[in-house]
Amino acid sequence: MLPLLCICREIRKIAVHTHRKSGLPALYQLASTFSGAPAGLADADTIFALSSGHGKCGVAVVRISGPASSMALRCMAGLRRHLPSPRTALLRSITDPSSKEILDRGLVLWFPGPHSFTGEDSVEFHIHGGPAVITAVLQALGSMPGMRPAEAGEFTRRAFQAGKLGLTEVEGLGDLIHAETEAQRRQALRQMSGDLQRLYQDWSHRLKRCLAHVEAFIDFSEDELIEDGVLERVDSSVVSLQAEIERHLKDERRGERLRSGVHVVIAGATNAGKSSLLNTLCQRPAAIVSSIAGTTRDVVETVLDIGGFPVLLSDTAGLRDSTDLIEQEGVRRARERVQQADLTLVVVDSVLLPCEVQKAADILQENLTSVLPDLKQTNKDRCLLVLNKTDLLPEAHRRELERELNEVSGLPPVCLLSCQTHEGLQDFLSVFHSRLKILCGDPLSGAPTLTQARHRAHLQQCVVALAQYQKLRDTDLALAADGVRLALTSLGRITGKLGAEEILDIIFKDFCIGK
Amino acid sequence: MKLHPVQTLVSRCIGHLSRQRYDVIVVGGGHAGTEAAAAAARMGAETLLVTQKIQTIGALSCNPSLGGVGKGHLVREVDALDGLCGRAGDWAGIHFSILNRRKGPAVWGPRAQLDRQRYREFIQGELLSIKRLTVLEGSVEDLLVTEPNPDEPGSHRVTGICLENVLHPISASSVVLTTGTFLSGSLFVGQTTSPGGRIGDAPSSAGLSRTLKETLGLRVGRLRTGTPPRIVKESVDFSLANVHLPDRHPTPFSFMNTHTRCKPEEQLPCHLTYTTPGVERVVQESLHLNCHIQQDTKGPRYCPSIESRVLRFPGRRHLVWLEPEGLTSDLLYPQGLSMTMPPEVQLRLIREIPALRRAEIHAPGYGVQYDFVCPTQLSSALQVKSTQGLFLAGQINGTTGYEEAAAQGLWAGVNAARQAHSMPPVSLSRTESYIGVLIDDLVSRGVTEPYRMFTSRAEFRTTLRPDNADLRLTPKGYELGCVSSSRYQEATRVQNSLQEAMTALQALTLSTNSCREKLPDIRVSETKSTVLTGMELLQYKELSFEMLASVFPERLSPYLEFSQRLKIEAVYKPHCDINKKEIERIQREENMFLPPDIDYFSLPVSLSNEAREILDRVRPTTLGAATRLEGITPAAVVNLYNYVHFAKKKGVNGQQKMTRSK
Repeated sequence: MLPLLCICREIRKIAVHTHRKSGLPALYQLASTFSGAPAGLADADTIFALSSGHGKCGVAVVRISGPASSMALRCMAGLRRHLPSPRTALLRSITDPSSKEILDRGLVLWFPGPHSFTGEDSVEFHIHGGPAVITAVLQALGSMPGMRPAEAGEFTRRAFQAGKLGLTEVEGLGDLIHAETEAQRRQALRQMSGDLQRLYQDWSHRLKRCLAHVEAFIDFSEDELIEDGVLERVDSSVVSLQAEIERHLKDERRGERLRSGVHVVIAGATNAGKSSLLNTLCQRPAAIVSSIAGTTRDVVETVLDIGGFPVLLSDTAGLRDSTDLIEQEGVRRARERVQQADLTLVVVDSVLLPCEVQKAADILQENLTSVLPDLKQTNKDRCLLVLNKTDLLPEAHRRELERELNEVSGLPPVCLLSCQTHEGLQDFLSVFHSRLKILCGDPLSGAPTLTQARHRAHLQQCVVALAQYQKLRDTDLALAADGVRLALTSLGRITGKLGAEEILDIIFKDFCIGK
Repeated sequence: MKLHPVQTLVSRCIGHLSRQRYDVIVVGGGHAGTEAAAAAARMGAETLLVTQKIQTIGALSCNPSLGGVGKGHLVREVDALDGLCGRAGDWAGIHFSILNRRKGPAVWGPRAQLDRQRYREFIQGELLSIKRLTVLEGSVEDLLVTEPNPDEPGSHRVTGICLENVLHPISASSVVLTTGTFLSGSLFVGQTTSPGGRIGDAPSSAGLSRTLKETLGLRVGRLRTGTPPRIVKESVDFSLANVHLPDRHPTPFSFMNTHTRCKPEEQLPCHLTYTTPGVERVVQESLHLNCHIQQDTKGPRYCPSIESRVLRFPGRRHLVWLEPEGLTSDLLYPQGLSMTMPPEVQLRLIREIPALRRAEIHAPGYGVQYDFVCPTQLSSALQVKSTQGLFLAGQINGTTGYEEAAAQGLWAGVNAARQAHSMPPVSLSRTESYIGVLIDDLVSRGVTEPYRMFTSRAEFRTTLRPDNADLRLTPKGYELGCVSSSRYQEATRVQNSLQEAMTALQALTLSTNSCREKLPDIRVSETKSTVLTGMELLQYKELSFEMLASVFPERLSPYLEFSQRLKIEAVYKPHCDINKKEIERIQREENMFLPPDIDYFSLPVSLSNEAREILDRVRPTTLGAATRLEGITPAAVVNLYNYVHFAKKKGVNGQQKMTRSK
């Protein structure tokens, strides 16, 4: 059974999330939100909202759902006689139902229930994206009887109630609405179409069978007929499930990273040009740059889209021993950031490198160790070396470094770059992009990845619970079965579907039981 | 052990009744009825038990056995609340065994084969000697139904019963109906049917069934069950069956008994044999002669007739247990061969089994179809929600089994007595007992087939064990008034001793080194911390409390009496501690009451129409019960939760808004 408070939390989260970003004009937000009271009016209400993003855009989508949808369509699109054929776009003048004033000209679509997103009759108006047009259309809708602005997340909630979406799909939808980059959008789409849902449901189905078989063995085996080998089959199922879930968990947080952004930290000695790199990447003077060592004292953050991947870029104070208390704190914060980073860009002033390649490599290694003391061969792909200020190098020296340094074994990829002239920027970006791709995984290939920390926590519980089964299977089957139950509950918390009666149904389907 | 002498409190004829008004009237003298009447009388209510035949009180209509996996849990709980069936089982048992011995104490199933004669003897002796309980032989013609008390919810009120051929009705504050399979019951053998609930007994009155359906407007459904033919013992060739011996040391059901009446060496064996392809052939050939099996009334999936087993799982060998009917009985009960074909075909069928090839049938098997009242119309006190003063227990609620009936009977009896004393109803939570699981499943989910208890129905199986039923329920029962002070004192003594012993175990420590020295049998892992407490040591499978006590005699030997219980407590403690949080969460939800007259159709909450209909029909009393309803989506629960929460904050105004406008 799904714990109530837990679902409450999840659904509230979705609602709040959607609410925060829902781009209704201020007027409608006031009208629709009554001091956070979550329950809306009865289902008989027809709701409407601007479904596309807020702000300047070419086309805006206004969505209407509920029994009065067809009436709204008739009145506002001048379709007195016939409704348009379902799910077909039709170009119409959109008018105010009382004043008959033409508000805009746009596409209208008719989705009769139950074959709509919410399962109810629905209508979409695709209108021009100017705020004046949007406000006028929303006001016109609000003036009709039985219509009210939707609450935050209400379309999704209605879809969930109509059984159109599972919990993971609802979450995927929230992400889709907020997908800020192309790769995020692709992953959200995958989750929406239920890839993850299908994966979890397959596990859940197999676990249910395991549980049903253990339960049958407990409740029926002794004086009633249960075939031999039931428990052995459960054993092997549990082992393979555990392995699969563990593999899924070992995706190195790729999905989550894609959802919440890759944490990239710029670090290195003072005056190497770390803040210049930040400014170059975000194409604006986000950090103060000067030739004085120790200019940056605190962490400067900015959000970037690098080839479709979300990046949370932090510039940090240069690492050096300082007597300045504030700078000491800055260095401590810098080290903390580096520890938490998914990817570290170690910036080195190329002017300081000697001409001889091997000596240069040694100095780079020293730099690396000072920034990342725990760097091991295995996590070399967690950092990139950026050699800055190449515009100050003699051309021959630059070419030699570029040619030779990437041959030296034991070093992470080396990029030569001038933040001043942007020479080498394209090459750096392509190396950077390929790193991000590895870190996030390609959202359209391979097994679906984990997108939510919540899923991860439940799956980890699931693995622990399956281990409990294996540990106790021979000493106390009741306790072992509890492990399988717990595993199933943990999965059920992700997919939001679990029923106790189902277990008995499987038992009776699989076994001939009777005294 | 002693048996109460049958006293002459029995009033066989209405003229001898000492009063015309009782606190509680119980209709029916089966497992539910006897427990209900006894519990109500223990609670201090003047109680009248009405049954068609005093002679059949305590009769085992079907199998001669008690307990089992899940069912044994119920027997222990009924006993912890001072009910009858546990002690009756100890008195009448002739073959004791604990099922699931190797699967962990939480799922042990105490079970016994019974001597029918002795069981009846014990129950009758016990009932007829309970103070404030009068037993009356008679047939109930109808219920007395009047206008409801306007201060309480409900649209009718039951105020007593009318007996057949008797002019004056008998009135009561509460009536408990435990009519078993007798409500519009019909019996089936081959192609003949006749009205009745059990062979040899008169059918119950049509008036009662009409009143329930028409006057009170209760929704009823129909279920079926069956019983096997009884076989003449000496016609069976036991050499062709496998003998199945009882436990060498019988374990009593009752917390009040240290031993059973039957001596270990006096116990009788059971025998196991199997069906053959010939059995399947006879079933197939006789289907056209079999009315009962052709009907689509729902029968139990887990206790199917031989016909439905063969039809659902053809080509298999099915188990047949040959069980003794008593120490001196000449009959055998073939468990697994319940059948409804014509008697001559039954004989042909059983003779297809080698051990039964010359068997004679004493009485043929038959099927029963009967009405049950959809139990979602009941509250968790087993009271009909729409009718004041009416309680239902046992098969009338769609359950099957003696133990399920006894458990409901006891709880209905407790609540009927409370109602008579104008006290609020009480319920048992599914977090504290199997009885709570049973009743909650019935009233919040309803039934689609006869309901039987399984351990898998209990979410907190590792906490709700047969060994600790006394700790879980006896203090509560004593507080309510259904437990005698002697039992309460015993439970308190046990509880205190266990507590002391566990404190001693916790305080006792042993280094891993001295562990290896003093307890060479247990394999202490090297990596663990160097000091282990007695509690931790006991979690090792190989170590028993006795072994530990021999190392620390002065500190532990006072508790040797509780060796087994302490071992179980130690093994389960970590898991029970984990369960505790979840249990508390559920108890919180169970304390969020939904007003009984809430109007779900106009409730200003986002709920689908389907959800509104379900909520309106079932009317769950708490949010916890609502979460367990089929067809109620998590989203609906969330909305309901928010609404209740919101209404609570708003206080009285919110409450008024939620209730139906009158």
